[in-house]
Parts: sequence; structure tokens; C-alpha cells
Amino acid sequence: MKHKCIHKDLIFYLDNELSEEKRTAVEKHLEECADCRSFLVFLKDEMQIIEKEKNPEASPFFYTRLSARLDERPQFKQQGLWVRFAQPAFFSVMLIAGIYGGLRLGSNASSGMINPEPTSTIQLMNDFENEPIESFLLNEL
Amino acid sequence: MDESELIKGIQQGDNKVFRVLVETYQRMVVNTCFGIVHSTADAEDLAQDVFLEIFRTAGSFRGDSKISTWLYRIATNRSLNFVRNKKRKGFFQSLEETFTGGKNRNSEISENRSDQPDQNITDQQRSDLLHRAIDQLPEKQRIAFTLNKYEELPYQQIAEVMEISLASVESLIHRAKKNLQEQLLDCYKKKCV
Ligand SMILES: [Zn+2]
Repeated sequence: MKHKCIHKDLIFYLDNELSEEKRTAVEKHLEECADCRSFLVFLKDEMQIIEKEKNPEASPFFYTRLSARLDERPQFKQQGLWVRFAQPAFFSVMLIAGIYGGLRLGSNASSGMINPEPTSTIQLMNDFENEPIESFLLNEL
Repeated sequence: MDESELIKGIQQGDNKVFRVLVETYQRMVVNTCFGIVHSTADAEDLAQDVFLEIFRTAGSFRGDSKISTWLYRIATNRSLNFVRNKKRKGFFQSLEETFTGGKNRNSEISENRSDQPDQNITDQQRSDLLHRAIDQLPEKQRIAFTLNKYEELPYQQIAEVMEISLASVESLIHRAKKNLQEQLLDCYKKKCV
């Protein structure tokens, strides 16, 4: 191909946005160049997609759905309000109870625990050793 | 019913007036969202969110611009957010795919395509390519291009929606077309369709 192709002007050619002078030059080039003509068709088909797909048919239930959502909003808000106050209150009570319980347990341990039973812990550890993790996994497979 | 009556009615929470507003602008809002998200179902969901936002925030509407300008602004913002979130999700999904062998992606694509089940494959490929090319545009170019091509808005109104100068709109649309053409040419040369 001997010439400098005009691919870059074609979208503006399609949209009729070229100056008179440039437009004439493009048209002259198109007469001679099959490749640019072919790209012009390709480009035109692509841009035509917009014309085909725009303004899609809207659902007839659009407003029905919307008004249902509109109605559920206040209810949702109320629920939100309830959750917003009840949830922190609940967790605060749990936290205070936990701290209080911990303190009670702590003071019991320091005063009352004279005879701890170390054997039970050791037993537990031994059980764990009897069943190594590798064999456990192998059994699973 | 003129614009100020519509606004007043919605500000007073009048459902009948709201219905008039929705019916007047529904096509416009759905089409604008569609130009950015390329799916009728998603565009309708977004349009619903747009109208709910209008109903909720009508009190703050200053009335110094047209209702359509206000709607376009919310519609484009929400659509861009939607696309951003989808992209982010897509990223995590592709990460997941590399670990799980990937079954999820196919279902998403077929879901997108189910919008127009009867179209033949070449038309579908064409529109997929165009959508991909539009999605590649920087966000401002994408908004200006969509408003111009899908909604056929004059540059002046696009400038009002985007709150930029007329010259900026001209430049955005010019660059958008150039970028689109470049991508389509690239595909044409590689025979990707
Ligand atoms: Zn040529």
C-alpha cells in the first residue's frame, strides 16, 4: 500500500465532523484503498450497535417494584434504629458481666485454690500425643 | 405538571407526583445507566436506586438546574460506582479462579448475555467488543461519550451535567472517539471478531 492510511479520521468522517477539505481527501482515499473501506464498514457496524441497543424496553413493573421498595424504607429505618441501640446495649451488658465474672473467678483462685489437680492436664496432653496430627490427616484421606 | 410542581410534590413526599416523575424520566435514566453498564437488568436496578435517591434527597434540590440534569448526574455516578465495584469483584473472582480452577466466571458471562437471547453471534460479538472498548475509556470520557451517543445530549447540557466547560466536553468527546477508534482498529487488524 503506497499511501498513508486515514484510519484515524474515519470515526469523525462517520460523525460528519471533518472539514470540507479533509472530508474530500478522505473520500478520495476511500475510492483507492480497499483496506480503509473495509475498516470503515467495520467501524460503522460497531457504532451502529449503539443505535440498536439504546433505549432498551423498560420493564412494565418498574414503578411497581420501585414503590414496593419505597414502602419498605421506613420499616427498614425503624429496624435499623432498634438494632443500632439494642445491639451495643446487649454487648455492653455482656462485657460488664464478663469482667465481673472474671474478677470473681480471679479472687476465688487466689484465695481458695489450694489443691490444684495437675494430673488431669497431663492426661489431656498425653491423649493428644497418642494421636499425632499426621495420622489423623492420613485417616481422613 | 411543570418542573417546580414536580419538585414541590416530591419534597412533600407526594407518591402520586413521584409516580409522574418516574414515568416521565424512567426511559432516560435507564438508558443512561445502560450506556455505562451494558445490561438492561443492571440498568433498571440502578435506575431504581436513582429514583429512590431523588425521593430521599429532594429536600436538598436547589432548583438551579433542570431535573434531568440532576438525574443524569446521579445516574452516571451510580453507574460508574457499579462498574468499579464489579471490576473489583472481578479481580477477586479471577484470583479465586486461579486457586479453584474457575467455574464462576462462565456463569457470569452467560448471565450478562441472557439479556438478548435471540441475537445472532456476530451481533453479540460486535456489541461485546464495543462494550469492552467503551469500558476502557477513562471515566470522564465515558460519561461524556455516553450522554452524547446514548442520550444524544447537546454538548452544552453535558457540560451542565458534568459541571465542566463546553471546551472540556468537546475535548473529552473527541478523545473518547479517538480512543474508541484506536481500540477498534487494533481489533480489526488482529481480526479479533
Ligand atoms: Zn487506506
